[in-house]
Amino acid sequence: MKIKIIIYFSFFITAALLLISAGKKNFIPTPIKFVVPKGFPSVATNIFLKNKLTEEGFELGKKMFYDARLSKDGEISCGSCHQQFASFSTYDHDLSHGVNNSFSNRNAPALINLAWMKEWHWDGGINHLEMQPLSPLSAANEMGEKLDTVILKLKADTAYVRMYKAAFGDATVTTERMLKAFAQFTGSLVSADSKYDKVKRGEATFILPEQKGYEIFKANCNGCHREPLFTDNSFRNNGIALNRFNDVGRQTITQDKKDSLKFKVPTLRNVALTLPYMHDGQINSLENVINHYTGLDTNFINLDPLLKKRINFTDKEKRQLVLFLYTLTDTSFTKNKRFAP
Amino acid sequence: MSKLFFLLLCMVAQSCCVAQKKQLSMPVVFQNICKGEKSILNINLVNAFEENYTITKFKYYVSNIKFVTDKKIKNAAGVYLIDASKKNIISIMVPSEKVSGISFLLGVDSILNCSGAQSGALDPLNDMFWTWNNGYIFFKVEGNSANSKADLHRIEHHIGGFKGNNKTMTEIYLPINSKVLLKRKKLVIQLDIDKYWNGINKLKIAEMPVIATPGKPAKYAANNFTGMFSIKNNKKIRIEN
Ligand code: HEC
Ligand code: HEC
Repeated sequence: MKIKIIIYFSFFITAALLLISAGKKNFIPTPIKFVVPKGFPSVATNIFLKNKLTEEGFELGKKMFYDARLSKDGEISCGSCHQQFASFSTYDHDLSHGVNNSFSNRNAPALINLAWMKEWHWDGGINHLEMQPLSPLSAANEMGEKLDTVILKLKADTAYVRMYKAAFGDATVTTERMLKAFAQFTGSLVSADSKYDKVKRGEATFILPEQKGYEIFKANCNGCHREPLFTDNSFRNNGIALNRFNDVGRQTITQDKKDSLKFKVPTLRNVALTLPYMHDGQINSLENVINHYTGLDTNFINLDPLLKKRINFTDKEKRQLVLFLYTLTDTSFTKNKRFAP
Repeated sequence: MSKLFFLLLCMVAQSCCVAQKKQLSMPVVFQNICKGEKSILNINLVNAFEENYTITKFKYYVSNIKFVTDKKIKNAAGVYLIDASKKNIISIMVPSEKVSGISFLLGVDSILNCSGAQSGALDPLNDMFWTWNNGYIFFKVEGNSANSKADLHRIEHHIGGFKGNNKTMTEIYLPINSKVLLKRKKLVIQLDIDKYWNGINKLKIAEMPVIATPGKPAKYAANNFTGMFSIKNNKKIRIEN
């Protein structure tokens, strides 16, 4: 009798185990292949090796990106400050609006080709793309919400619970999963289809002033705004003086005086759409950015060595340089429905 | 049928044996004390500089914890968040060789500081992660003291930093009387918060009420980490607990 019970019991256990594993097998999210555009370097560290990029994860990340309910007052989403038509910067705002009528104290940068970076934010304070959302979610002048409350809000929403299940196999909402899903969306924001790219691929040609502008760019700007990403992702001092927030940039992170007023070299892709410019949005047009460089005080403390040599452009050259910068605009990116809410 | 059952029985027996061959493990308790006092949260404490203070929050990371023998032992997985408001017991394998001490890292290594989203002890929900200057806070003391000139007489020491000159994670090694280990059912590691303020470096609350970023002050404070720890009753072999 006892033996029979034992045998039945073991059959029961085996069956249960089989059922569980079968359930797991049913969970097959749709993989997405992360494609490095032609001519681009390989990504710095492939965040999608450990964080498998899937359709379901991407969609979840996108939904959260556009969801203002995650903020403290329900008014501000990532997308409020990162607008797609402005290449995910805040269009025509030096600073962006946060919750309770607050303002960010830096200019919202474009979100492009983030997967090629090693450090994020103007001062490089973020060391992994997955960790980035923790900063805006909790900062009092951005979304102002406590992390545990964000998680509770997600858990309370059946639509999210379904999406977490679809993306991760079960409905548990965790910080880790939330951050991974955010990164699947932000890391997928790849822009590589500007006129410049088409010229490089042999699908278009520059008109003469653009070509001249390109030559000027290569001679004066490419040392920091390096092709094809138009940034070398380093931290440099390009002669922007200390602002009213006493923002010393990279020095805040390293506590090293040598890093005073160094900021991350921003990409110039889509730069025509990301005005105003610099870490606090103090320059309002590309023409004035160029005037900043030609009018630089070459004795500015801690100025980057690459800018110690005076830059002189004629008005014509300035116009040519601007025309070249316009060729970096990628409207297939700013209009891409996949990235829209 | 009975043959089949016999086979099953053999398999079960075998797996039991395998399980029994496993190394023994020992509970290691992290106890946070202040001089003789066994609890440190929300009570009046006095440091060597006659500064009265109260601690409301006390947490720190312990990782790569293992017994040390003559043999080289590979790094131990597992990161633990010790929290003075909880019981902190970690189970550690006791090697078969003669044990000379126990070692652990106060903090977490640099790789874990930049590995992206993680769960468990390293979940940012534990409020031990700097969101604006990414990296884990290795050691956190919060409280208040009349001697603090900070807002609301706050004490806020968030000690961390994993890069270059700002590194504060600290390898702690505590020698163990090997006889003690054989007699004990558990090993108690004590952290004396009094020695945090008054160690190799002198941390007066009046002078340093707030340390909130990696950098020189954090390094200065972290130099006192090693001196805080000791093994309870390391000499007395017979006493349990
Ligand atoms: C209130 C406006 C605001 C909101 C809301 C906001 N951001 Fe930002 N974002 C900024 C600003 C400003 C910066 C620059 C921060 C800095 O350098 O300190 C930034 C930087 C970034 C960066 C780094 C880009 C780079 O090139 O280094 C990423 C990625 C990003 N935000 C994603 C997000 C996500 C995801 C969310 C939602 C969870 C979000 N942002 C919400 C304003 C905002
Ligand atoms: C030494 C490195 C360096 C060189 C050379 C350089 N830049 Fe920059 N550039 C920077 C840095 C750093 C910033 C960001 C500074 C800040 O935010 O305070 C920047 C910002 C900009 C911006 C603003 C982008 C934005 O989204 O806010 C533009 C436009 C720009 N540079 C164009 C140029 C042009 C055109 C040239 C050549 C004439 C040039 N740069 C040469 C380092 C450099």
